[in-house]
Amino acid sequence: MGINVGYFAKESVINFRRNWVMSLGAVITIYLSLLLVGLSIATGIIIDDVVQSVEDKVTIQIFLKDDAATEDVQALQAQLLADELVDTVDYVSKEEALERFKEDMASSPEIIDTLNDNPLPASLDVSLIDPRTVQEMVDRIKLNELFPKVADRPDNPEDSLKYGQQIVDKLFSFTRMVRYVEIAFVAMLALVSLIFINNTIRLAIYARRKEIGIMRLVGASNGFIRTPFLMEGVLQSMLGAVLAILTVLGVQAALIPRLREALPFLPLGLSTGTLVQISAVLIGASLVIGLAGSGFALRRYLKV
Amino acid sequence: MISMRGVEKFYGTDKPALADVTVEIEQGEFVFLVGHSGSGKSTFIKLLLREILPSKGQIVVAGQDMLKLKNWKVPYLRRNIGCVFQDFKLLPNKTSYENVAFALEVIGKSKHVIRTQVPEVLRLVGLEDKINSYPDELSGGEQQRVSIARAFVNRPPLLLADEPTGNLDPATSLGIMSLLNRINKTGTTVLVATHDREMVDSMRKRVIALENGLVIRDQNRGVYGYGD
Repeated sequence: MGINVGYFAKESVINFRRNWVMSLGAVITIYLSLLLVGLSIATGIIIDDVVQSVEDKVTIQIFLKDDAATEDVQALQAQLLADELVDTVDYVSKEEALERFKEDMASSPEIIDTLNDNPLPASLDVSLIDPRTVQEMVDRIKLNELFPKVADRPDNPEDSLKYGQQIVDKLFSFTRMVRYVEIAFVAMLALVSLIFINNTIRLAIYARRKEIGIMRLVGASNGFIRTPFLMEGVLQSMLGAVLAILTVLGVQAALIPRLREALPFLPLGLSTGTLVQISAVLIGASLVIGLAGSGFALRRYLKV
Repeated sequence: MISMRGVEKFYGTDKPALADVTVEIEQGEFVFLVGHSGSGKSTFIKLLLREILPSKGQIVVAGQDMLKLKNWKVPYLRRNIGCVFQDFKLLPNKTSYENVAFALEVIGKSKHVIRTQVPEVLRLVGLEDKINSYPDELSGGEQQRVSIARAFVNRPPLLLADEPTGNLDPATSLGIMSLLNRINKTGTTVLVATHDREMVDSMRKRVIALENGLVIRDQNRGVYGYGD
């Protein structure tokens, strides 16, 4: 079959050149749809990482008054730990709180210099198994009878609690909406690419109908007649995929460093492994689109 | 080589294109299939190539039962049947050599086989000095010779010709017919569908006459034999 591979490759390239405007149209639509797929996967992964890191930071901090009884604090800690929503409960002393504050503010030492006393309260940091249950847990803490006893501000216990419910809610609804819009776009573009490939293959079949007739007459096998057209479809979609991969790589190389600079506190970035996975998904998708588009055209327009 | 038993073919529902055709053609025979337009000649040829299936009856070509033959095996049947048509069906952007070579290329013959067989068959049809000519540089008769070369290059046991001289003048037609006769002498079965009266009368071969889808006459050493 050594001759055949060369023959098929030659034929599909010739077809591509013969109908280059249509072929270019097919390549561009596939490129755009795969680019959108690639970018949405990439942003999806980045947003997931960010959400994850925010979720990890969603702890409920219970600020304690300086003269809270140690046994009350320990009893509250034990009760919270027993709750099925709770993962861990850490006691953070006044000194530790100050240390953390100094670390966070390391870039502005003048603020630290103004502190001569330690104004920070000690706290119990409650982290949850599922960050989405934060509101429920907050309500439970408020009902706990030990809570008003140890709270930093007994007159208004609400102020002694700090948690990030709104941030989590907003992130979740935002990412969900973005994902739906992306899926709709990708589905439409995939459909358009299928139609484009279908059309270019139909033109290619039409341009070569005489040859195909003779091939059938002299007994060329169906596979032999079909393969150049399938390869043409795959060639178009692969070209689109390669362009899309290059663009995704370019965009991430250009944007990620700037984003990191602008938002240094967020874990922005894509690992090489993730990029390889995205490329594999795009190549796979292009194979499916190419084979499906040309296969469909062959079924409709090439009776062998 | 060809065996048809009680073959019927309906395209619509009312009138059959072929009705109860029973024909036996032995290996090595030279047969004319004659009849007016619409008499069923083309249907006859298409059935032999399995471009269509009969509505009723049995057809065996080159040892293959057309009704039992699987779709994917049809190309292999066609490698045993050479085909020549009125309109030559040559590729205009290929030379004589390339047109003939194409037929071998697409059934996966090696370059070596192509390089030896193509010049040989072109010599057989008398075109050894037109090997590198394109179809539009050749006369009608020469183009038909290229098409016969292409049909015969694979040495099929059966050669079908559908109106091979339909576009040619009488003198050129004679040359084509004697070429087909020569091919027949090598042992190849030749079936020629035609309405070229003079040709049929002068060759004195077996004649199968069709009218309205019926075989009205089948005689050895026959003549065209229509009164019009």
